[in-house]
Amino acid sequence: MSELTARVREIAKRLLDNQQVDVVFGWEKGTEPFSSTPVFIRRPEEAERLVFDEFCIHNLSTYLLDYRDGSEKIGIFVKGCDSRGVVRLLEDEQFTRERLYIIGIGCPGMKDPVAHALAASGLDGNQDTAGLSAKCRQCVHPNPVLYDELLGVQQEPHLRGERFAEVKQIEAMSTAERYQFFADIFSRCIRCYACRNICVACNCRRCIFEETRPQWVGRETNLADNMMYHVIRTMHVAGRCVECGECERACPVGIPLMLLNRKLIKDVNQLFGPYEAALSLEEGAKPPLSRYRTDDPDNFL
Amino acid sequence: MSDNCNCQNPLVPSIVKVVDIIEETPDVKTFYVTSDNGIPFKVMPGQLAMVSLLPVGEGMFSVSWQADDHLEFAIRRVGVLTDALHDIEIGQEIGVRGPYGNGFPVEKCEGKNMLFIGGGIGLAPLRSLIKYCFKHREKYGSIKILYGARSVADLCFKQELFEEWPAQPDTQVFTTIDRPEEGWNGKVAFVPTYLEEISPSPENTIAVICGPPIMIKLVLQSMEKMGFSDEQVITTLEMRMKCGIGKCGRCNIGSEYICLDGPVFDLVQLKKLPPEW
Amino acid sequence: MKTLAKTKIEAVLNQLAEKAEVYVPLKQGAISSFGVWSAAVSGENLALESLNTLMSPKSVVLPQTEKMYTFATSGQQAEVKEVCADSGERVIFGARACDTKSLNVLDEVFLTRGYEDAFYKARREKLTVIGRACAQPGPHCFCSSMGVDPLEPAGADVILYDAGEEFGWEPVTERGQALTNQLNEFLGDRELPKPSAAEFRTRVDIEGLPEKLNRMFAHPVWEELAAKCMNCGICTYLCPGCYCFDIQVKTRGQEGYRFRCWDSCMYPEYTQMAGGHNPRQSKHERFRNRFLHKLEFIHERYGTLGCTGCGRCVVMCPNGVNIVSIINRLREVDVDVR
Repeated sequence: MSELTARVREIAKRLLDNQQVDVVFGWEKGTEPFSSTPVFIRRPEEAERLVFDEFCIHNLSTYLLDYRDGSEKIGIFVKGCDSRGVVRLLEDEQFTRERLYIIGIGCPGMKDPVAHALAASGLDGNQDTAGLSAKCRQCVHPNPVLYDELLGVQQEPHLRGERFAEVKQIEAMSTAERYQFFADIFSRCIRCYACRNICVACNCRRCIFEETRPQWVGRETNLADNMMYHVIRTMHVAGRCVECGECERACPVGIPLMLLNRKLIKDVNQLFGPYEAALSLEEGAKPPLSRYRTDDPDNFL
Repeated sequence: MSDNCNCQNPLVPSIVKVVDIIEETPDVKTFYVTSDNGIPFKVMPGQLAMVSLLPVGEGMFSVSWQADDHLEFAIRRVGVLTDALHDIEIGQEIGVRGPYGNGFPVEKCEGKNMLFIGGGIGLAPLRSLIKYCFKHREKYGSIKILYGARSVADLCFKQELFEEWPAQPDTQVFTTIDRPEEGWNGKVAFVPTYLEEISPSPENTIAVICGPPIMIKLVLQSMEKMGFSDEQVITTLEMRMKCGIGKCGRCNIGSEYICLDGPVFDLVQLKKLPPEW
Repeated sequence: MKTLAKTKIEAVLNQLAEKAEVYVPLKQGAISSFGVWSAAVSGENLALESLNTLMSPKSVVLPQTEKMYTFATSGQQAEVKEVCADSGERVIFGARACDTKSLNVLDEVFLTRGYEDAFYKARREKLTVIGRACAQPGPHCFCSSMGVDPLEPAGADVILYDAGEEFGWEPVTERGQALTNQLNEFLGDRELPKPSAAEFRTRVDIEGLPEKLNRMFAHPVWEELAAKCMNCGICTYLCPGCYCFDIQVKTRGQEGYRFRCWDSCMYPEYTQMAGGHNPRQSKHERFRNRFLHKLEFIHERYGTLGCTGCGRCVVMCPNGVNIVSIINRLREVDVDVR
């Protein structure tokens, strides 16, 4: 057992023993060496189930939404990106800081359990298992930005190379090339909504895609409706995406969702910035697209 | 069956014409539909049909009466389709397909006293059986109808409720509203409360219940208290439906589909199913 | 036994494609699915050596989006124009036993119990299935636990047995025999050993499970099991046996069409009624319905399970929801706990 796993168990047990929290969000081992999965611990003796290893990739902050109408106190283990997810929810007023006890862990970068399972499974698909997961290879903020207690060691960004390199490639395409690129990726979308459901920034109580009066996006799985879905999804998290990469990780058909998100991160920064979403919790702070200022640029309209 | 019935494909509607529209309440209208060849299909009391305004959508409704030359659908305005339906005028062509579901056990009810308990738009499915009982009056014993709505304005089928039905032999109609209202000298109570006050005898009686799920659940408790056995209590349920033929999945309660195995269940059947409705 | 040399597969597919749409397992970059064999597809894209495709072949009989009928309106008038329930000949080439068994489940749903679904039936009646015996199950496969024989794909018209350089080719239905006759020029004739029973790493005991589940609706374990599910549709859409659909309309001006498309019991709007009531409001209720449907309700209604052990959901769930672990937990808990 690693030292971090021991510390995670010890802290969870302490928080539950002291009744400081009602439930602890963490990870446990699944059926395979490469499967770590989210777990929600309520009894001190169950703290022994917790682990922290290189497959604890899930952003647990999204699960806070399942508890948003309650009053339970929650202990939550967060990596860098997960902690930005918590800030997202606090900034969006979906949760209150008082209900949370946050244990930050400097993140060494994670491997992708699904990619590993897929590679082992014999199913043909996207088997990206070399080293860190695709999402962690893009990470610029591995250290928790909000916590009550901190574990692990301070980490350097895992990104090698330039953050917006892929975005710039797409920007450099001709309109026709770009349309073809988007047509290729969106035509394979199966509209499972995993990218929305796993997203901490997608915290609307009633999602526009469920709206029927009017129905904004058709339910057919075709290029037009798929594009409409993705354009709306991306725009709705513009300036609010915490770059945890969960959408892209969850996508069963390998749509490069973070490429879209990153384009908006770049644009929001250029237009309204310098701005980087959810890097700290400040009283009354709102993302740029949630504020109105008379000097907001409008040259993109 | 008329020629415009798409008998080979139960998912495709036949086109019928709306020949009359009755404004029942501020948010309920009854639509009379028929085609040049008469009624599109024969319906037993309690059965359902899928009604579509072709460009807008399709929804499942109970047929609130099958007259000789038309079908009647009492429809409350609650969503996209029903909004649009409320805006149509006489002469509009709409789609219907059906009939779906089992309907009320009219034969099992023969020789019994009938107790109808309805809330709000829940009177619509009951009405098909109430009118059936009146049409075959000699086959049924005494008839008691207990009906409640939020307000006087929300009471459906007022002419029948206050004039036609009480004038029938051996028939009593009890009407109640949820909150007191100026000009209303009748009962003010929730349906389950009023039911226990009236305390109808379970002897040789079948009770048929329809209303919002919460009303049904409370009434079922009252029935038990008043000594009705599970065989004597019948209800008709509602769930979201799309296909009507037990394929699309969504209207299941356990392994039963409301559209096919229901919507009518007696309490013996209902108690075997998960309480998920 | 008839044999098919692997070098002749493309010739056979070309021959079949002259008279039918031929669906073959295809590698398609990030994904794989049963796609149409055509001039645009090369042999390199064929995924016959792989265990299975990410997307199941259910879309051959139940497309994700399917036009049902077109209509036109004019003033108060309305007319159903064309009903789209027809299909040409279709062949699925190389489906595994988990997927062919799922077709049998879909057949029960769409073709029995009072109504036949004309759209499904049109496709199904024109479908020939060439199954592929599975001698080396993957680590997530558990079809044998769900009553599927991986070596004898149920519902296949022809079964292929992999024997290295060639396939053993065994017609098992009249339709399969007819197809075999058509393809005679491509087939050899010699005895090949049939592969022997496969060893499964993943097993699960379902003895008595549907009956036990019948008493577990109100069990607190469902909330525990549902906790990490995020109610997305990955498992339902990848599942070869999930068939629930929605019916919707697309209208432009005076014309339009009604279509159906896959739907998922994981989505709140699946049971959301226009009046506001939703009988499956919470995440664990939707989760419970999915697993009870697969493991109890379908069994009660059709006498077969809704899961055929293909393992796709186990592999692809981003949060590690695992039907095998769920079954094990359901078996382990005391049914009388309330």
